[in-house]
Amino acid sequence: MTEKSENTILEWTPLRRYLLLYVSFFRITALVVGGGLAMLPVIEETFVNRYKLLTKEELLDMVALTQTIPGIIAMNSAVFVGMKAGGIPGAFSAIAGAFTPPFFIILLIASCFPRLNPDNKYLLGAFAGVRACVTGLILVSACKMCRSAIKCKFEILVVAVYFILALCKVNPALLIFSAMPLGCLYLHITLRRKAAAEASLKTKSPDSEKEA
Amino acid sequence: MNWLLLFFHFSKFALLCFGGGYVLIPLLITAFVDEQQIMTLAEFGNLLSIAQVTPGPVGLNTATYVGYVYGGAIGSFAASLGLIFPTVVLGCSAVFSLQKWKQSFLMNGILKGTRLAAVAMILYAVTIFFGMSVFTSAIPWHELGRVFLFQCPEIPDTFRISPAGAVLCACSALLVWKTKIPTTVLILSFAAAGALLAFF
Repeated sequence: MTEKSENTILEWTPLRRYLLLYVSFFRITALVVGGGLAMLPVIEETFVNRYKLLTKEELLDMVALTQTIPGIIAMNSAVFVGMKAGGIPGAFSAIAGAFTPPFFIILLIASCFPRLNPDNKYLLGAFAGVRACVTGLILVSACKMCRSAIKCKFEILVVAVYFILALCKVNPALLIFSAMPLGCLYLHITLRRKAAAEASLKTKSPDSEKEA
Repeated sequence: MNWLLLFFHFSKFALLCFGGGYVLIPLLITAFVDEQQIMTLAEFGNLLSIAQVTPGPVGLNTATYVGYVYGGAIGSFAASLGLIFPTVVLGCSAVFSLQKWKQSFLMNGILKGTRLAAVAMILYAVTIFFGMSVFTSAIPWHELGRVFLFQCPEIPDTFRISPAGAVLCACSALLVWKTKIPTTVLILSFAAAGALLAFF
């Protein structure tokens, strides 16, 4: 995992890396309407597919982490990706990139429309178009995510239960926290099963290379 | 209220909001509509819809706007910085400990569990986005759930399929699934398509 990323972006000079983080997050928050998880497909495209900086699993860790620590999801994602790519300075440049466009857009709107109702139907239409586009993107990325992350029937059940709990408006942070001990238990059981299977294999064929 | 106080106010909100910008909204209503009374609930509603339709994270947009109403450009800067500050500190330390204990059994177990929960969260986000584009309002799950109790669900009148939204969403899903078109190009062209549809 780390070897793959070391080959690409981590070889760059730090300054170039920070610049990449700034520009990428600038682009993401300037374009994506809906914030938070809507950014996910674009982050996936940029940092998983193009720069090979994160793996698919790390992307899921990012989603879990952004829901666990308090604060808005978009900024938590920026901190996660920035830290991975360039340590603390990387996190700051990612944050700065994510911060700039919305700040100035809102400042512009707030100073131009003090009555707070933009009724330009073309502008609203454009934003609705972006929202529909983002819906399609996040749908595809959710399908891909399900394929790569869910490996057996039991895991389908777990995801289904959490999905229904989320629909019942249970706080996401609570859900993620509750998944932590469950994950430890699940890992413990799977490891023990694997060990038991290997042990039974060993009794059948004593020459097996389990020690190696 | 000076800008330092605004900064600390928003830092407090950021620490309280587990699970993203939408959790921030009730906190802001309590603080600025009920207690401080710097704006009415209707004004806050307008502000929120602007924050949702403009690009950028909803929480940050709202904070910038409330800050501006309170204290101009400096106010909005203080408010949004305040919102970000706790996140940066907590996020950096979280990622740091994540990397430090990458090999430990406990961390692996925690990640195993949270990854599955994260998949469920993303699926949930898909349903929210469907409510914002393919349908005209949020999907009424509590009504649909009544089917399981053998009752007829009462679908509210505001909940309809929006044909343009559904077509655009299907197009973007197909494009990103079947082609390697960059998302920047995709989003910009869909913005143009949306503006064009508003023309008719």
